[in-house]
Amino acid sequence: MAKKKDIRIGRYRILDELGRGAMGVVYRAEDPSLDRIVALKTISLSDADEDRKAYEKRFMLEAKAAGKLTHPNIVTIFDYGEEEDVAYMAMELLEGEDLRARIRKGDIPPMEAVEIALQIADGLGFAHEFGVVHRDIKPGNIMLLERGAVKIMDFGIARMRHADASKTSTGMVLGTPRYMSPEQIGGQPVDQRSDIFSLGTVLYEMLTQTSLFAGQDVNQIAHSVANTEPAPPSHAHPELPQMLDFIVARALKKDPSVRYQDAYEMAADLRDVLAEMRGRAPSRDRGDEHDKTQTLRFDAAAEKLPVAPAANAIARETRLPLSRVFDSDAALGRVEARGKRERFTLPPKRVGLFRRIWQDRLPRRLLVAALLAAGLGVLIASS
Amino acid sequence: MAKAPQVQIQPSVFASVAFLKIHDFGRRPVVEQARLRAQLEAAVAVVLQDLKEDARIVLDAADGIALVVLDDPRAALALAGRALAAGAAGLPLSIGINHGAVKQSGKGKHEGLLGDGIAVAAAIAELAGPKKLLVTREFRDALEDAAPGAEAALAGAGTHTDASLRAHALYRHEPRGAARRGARYAAAAAVAVIALAGAGVAFRVSIEGFDRYAARMEAQAMQAVARLRGEAPAAAPPPLQRAAKRRSR
Repeated sequence: MAKKKDIRIGRYRILDELGRGAMGVVYRAEDPSLDRIVALKTISLSDADEDRKAYEKRFMLEAKAAGKLTHPNIVTIFDYGEEEDVAYMAMELLEGEDLRARIRKGDIPPMEAVEIALQIADGLGFAHEFGVVHRDIKPGNIMLLERGAVKIMDFGIARMRHADASKTSTGMVLGTPRYMSPEQIGGQPVDQRSDIFSLGTVLYEMLTQTSLFAGQDVNQIAHSVANTEPAPPSHAHPELPQMLDFIVARALKKDPSVRYQDAYEMAADLRDVLAEMRGRAPSRDRGDEHDKTQTLRFDAAAEKLPVAPAANAIARETRLPLSRVFDSDAALGRVEARGKRERFTLPPKRVGLFRRIWQDRLPRRLLVAALLAAGLGVLIASS
Repeated sequence: MAKAPQVQIQPSVFASVAFLKIHDFGRRPVVEQARLRAQLEAAVAVVLQDLKEDARIVLDAADGIALVVLDDPRAALALAGRALAAGAAGLPLSIGINHGAVKQSGKGKHEGLLGDGIAVAAAIAELAGPKKLLVTREFRDALEDAAPGAEAALAGAGTHTDASLRAHALYRHEPRGAARRGARYAAAAAVAVIALAGAGVAFRVSIEGFDRYAARMEAQAMQAVARLRGEAPAAAPPPLQRAAKRRSR
C-alpha cells in the first residue's frame, strides 16, 4: 500500500482540510513537537514584491498582536510564520458550529442570543484593550462551542489585511459589507466602535432571524448600511424587553460618537438585560431567513456612496413604525380614509383678507369699530 | 394581451407631526434610556386623553415618539404644549412640529408612516434643545389656515439649518402672543375711532369755523342736559351771539 504523502507547512503536518475561503485555506494540522492538533490558517501572499513585503510586515505585526490575546472568548493563537508564498497561523482547534450555521437553523432563543452577544462583547472588549480591532465580526467568524462558550475567530488576518485603515493602498475595502459599519464601508479609518456596530448587526440577526442590511449587490448593501435605520427588534418579537431595543439601537448608531464607545459598556448593558430576561419564561423565535456571508473585496474609491445629506436624513428619519403601545394596525386606516378627501391631500391655503375678517375675531372687531367710527364721523360731518 | 399589474399607490395626506424627542437620548446609559422612555410613554398617554383616537396616530422613534395629528393643527400645538409641561418633571423633551405629507408604509409588524412631514419634525426637534418647542413655517401656515389668528401664539425664532443642511424658518410657542395681539387690535380700534370721528369734527370746523361749531355743540349739549333734568330747554341763543358773550367774559 502506498504511503500517504506527508505535507508540512512550517513544522505542522497537514492532516486534512477544514475549510476554504476567499483569503486562504484552513487545515487541521498536527504540531509534532507538542503532539497537539491545531487549526492552521494559511493565506497566500501576493506575488508582487512590494505587496509581499507589506503583507509580511503587517502579518507579523498583527499576528503578534492577536497572539497576545488570551481570553476565553477569543480563539488562542499558538504560532505564526511563513513559508515560501504562504503565511500561516496555528490556532486552537475548535469543535462546534459557527453562528452562521446556527442562525440558518433558526433556533436561537432570545436569551441565548443575548448570552452569545455578551460573550462576543467581552472578547472584543479585551481585544480592543490591546489595540486590536477585528474589523470582520460576522456570524461566520463566531464559533459556538459546547456548554455555551463562544469564541471569536479570525483576529489577526482581518487586521493584517486592513492595516491602519480599512482601506488598502490601492483603495480596496475589505470585509463583509452586510456587517460593516458605515465608516468602514465608506473607506474611513475605523476603530473599536466599528466592531461594536458589527456586533450590533449580528445581535439583531440573532434576535430577528433577518439580515439587517439586505441588498442584491454590494452597492445596495452599502447604501442600506449607510442609510437604513433598523426597526427595533421588539417590533418583530414583542416579547423582547424594550431595553434590548435600546442596546441594539445604540450599537447601530450611524455616528460612531453616539455609539457605544467601548465593548465592555455594551457588555454591561447586555448583562443587565440578561438579568431582566432571566425573570421571564424563555421563548423560541424561528425563521427561515438564511444568509450567505462571504468576505468580499470591492473598490471603495469607485463605489463611494453619493453625498446626499438631505436625502440620507429623510430616509433615516422619515419611516417610523406604529407604536404598538398606543395604536393597533387599524390606526393606519385613518390615513387611508383621509387620503380620499381632497382637503387632506392639499397643503394649507393662504388666508386672504376676506377670510381673515370673516374667521378671525380680532380683525372683525377692528373692522366693526372702524365702520362705526366712520359712521359717526359722517354723522358729525353732516350734522 | 396580458394586463399590466395594477399598482396600488397609497395616498399621501397632509398632517401635523409633533416629534417628541428625548434630548441627548443616544448618549445616555441604557438603563436611563429605558426609564426616560417609560416616562415619555406615560406623559403621552396622559396628553392623548384630550384627543379623539380617530384623529391621531402614534409612531415609535428611536429616541422619542411622533404624534401625527390628522385633522386640526391646533390640537397638535396644544398636545405638544401639554407634553412639554407634563414632561417637565425630569424628562428632557425637545419638540418639533411640522405640517407635511405623510404616507402609509411597510407591512405587517413594520407598518408605519413615512414622509417629509415626519422627517422635518424630527430635524426640528433636534434643533429645539431641551424643554423647548419649535414649529416650522409650514405648520404656522397650516395653523393659520385652520384657524386664522391662532398663529399669533407663535413668534419668529429665525432661520436654522438642520444636520441635513435644510434651512427651516422656525417659530417658537409664545402663549401670551394672542393676548398681545388682542391689545394691539384694541389700540388700533381706538385709534380708528378717534381718527374717523375726529375727521368728521375737523370737516365741520373747516366749514363753520371753530367758534360757531363750538357754540353749536355747547348749545346742543346744554339742551341735552336740560332734557335729562326734565326742564324745558331754553331757547338757544344764536351761536355767534354766545361766542361774543364768551369772548366779553
